[in-house]
Amino acid sequence: MSLIEVKNVRKTFDGMTVLSDISFEVKQGEVVCLIGPSGSGKSTMLRCINLLEDIDEGSINVCGEEIGSIRDINAYRRKVGMVFQQFNLFSNMNVIDNCILAQVKVLKRSKEEARQTALQYLQQVGMIDFANASVSTLSGGQKQRVAIARALCMNPQILLFDEPTSALDPEMVGEVLSVIRDLADEDMTMIIVTHEMAFARDVADKVIFMDDGVVLEEGDPSQIFNHPKNERTKQFLSRILYENSAVQ
Amino acid sequence: MSLKKCLEIIARYYPSFLLGIRTTLLVSLSGTLIGLLIGLLVGGIRAIRLDKTASRFARILKLFSDILARIYIEIFRGTPMMVQAVFIYYFIYTNVIRWDKMVAAVFVISINTGAYMAEIVRSGIQAVDPGQNEAARSLGMSSMQTMMSVVLPQAIRNAFPAIGNELIVNIKDSSVLLIISITELMFQSNSIAGTTYRFTETYFVTAMIYLIMTSISSIVLNMIEKRINNTKTSLPQSDTSFSSITIARKGVQHVSH
Repeated sequence: MSLIEVKNVRKTFDGMTVLSDISFEVKQGEVVCLIGPSGSGKSTMLRCINLLEDIDEGSINVCGEEIGSIRDINAYRRKVGMVFQQFNLFSNMNVIDNCILAQVKVLKRSKEEARQTALQYLQQVGMIDFANASVSTLSGGQKQRVAIARALCMNPQILLFDEPTSALDPEMVGEVLSVIRDLADEDMTMIIVTHEMAFARDVADKVIFMDDGVVLEEGDPSQIFNHPKNERTKQFLSRILYENSAVQ
Repeated sequence: MSLKKCLEIIARYYPSFLLGIRTTLLVSLSGTLIGLLIGLLVGGIRAIRLDKTASRFARILKLFSDILARIYIEIFRGTPMMVQAVFIYYFIYTNVIRWDKMVAAVFVISINTGAYMAEIVRSGIQAVDPGQNEAARSLGMSSMQTMMSVVLPQAIRNAFPAIGNELIVNIKDSSVLLIISITELMFQSNSIAGTTYRFTETYFVTAMIYLIMTSISSIVLNMIEKRINNTKTSLPQSDTSFSSITIARKGVQHVSH
């Protein structure tokens, strides 16, 4: 059974269509990568799944529930973790308090229990030595790893990544991707918006190519990357791969 | 003007000056603090943005409180505090209750400051990166929890210089409260000048006292600001956290082997 079912979703901003007739499914334990040029609606799609945006038409079902009709949005959001491009760590707290806050406030865990959970996930992302560090002293890659730990502390069923490495210096991309790769190995269900094609090819069970608010192609990574059917996909991939090889 | 005369005036009238200083500090400090509380409430309400789940009742309530807040802010920013002081003092005195002048003074300076604070707090809240709000909401926190634990602490930190500025303004501007004859520094100075006929010297001393009070406030405010901005560690590392680190490490090692 599909954990997430997106059906014929349409979304407009001030009359401008940013998503039109988007449909796809994500199964339990699956890793889905959304790729495509900037402005194609990938991030908006992700934000719709977390109800940070609402859709105009269509439906999004998560765990068999139509999320548009959910009354307790906060209860829903704790099941769906989100990691942002700009990390969005709480800048008025240190690393471990970032991980503790929502556990205490939302899951009503005791401070001690929340601390243990936080330490466990900080350990998992390799940030335990920074537990008491101020957020402002961390590098981008470290911040993003803490943000992932913070999301994991809520024991979400699904994790959404909105371009998790786009704001990072090139040498920090690897550390964040390896954390996400470990999560994939643990069968965490994830939707990842990314421009890292090598990573998508490596980690994804399914790749969805979007352009201009439309899903142009979806399939397993080897098919999309090696034998893209759609002309636009071919163009996009060849340009990206060319740029990557030009850098190296 | 002679400095000798100034020193004579201080030597002779220092108890009056001290009483003035005490009243001025009492009125401006409490007025600023109460004003800040008013500002947090009014500015906080103004900064609330209802999302799509908000009920019709919430929407009407929000609209209504927005209008009230705007009227309050416009009236108290748009009229001189001196006029507010006489009007409110005499209006309440003749129509409601024969209240104490000191209470009236603190009341006036508080609601006057509250109007400015409301705008300071509102802009402070709006200056907090929207990503902070989104991150908190994405973790399932309610808008109230997000406001209290994430947004407001950052807003106050951002707005602290402006909040502190209000204290300094109030130390000086409480001088207009002499209009309802409370024994603040300006009122006391007027009496001293009236007795000695040494206007220049008396008001020179007065000016120096105000300057000293505002300078000390500046220094204290700067120290507090440094402390607020320097939140390296908010949780001391207790013994339990050390032991739990080792436990967590061992636990993960077991899993990975």
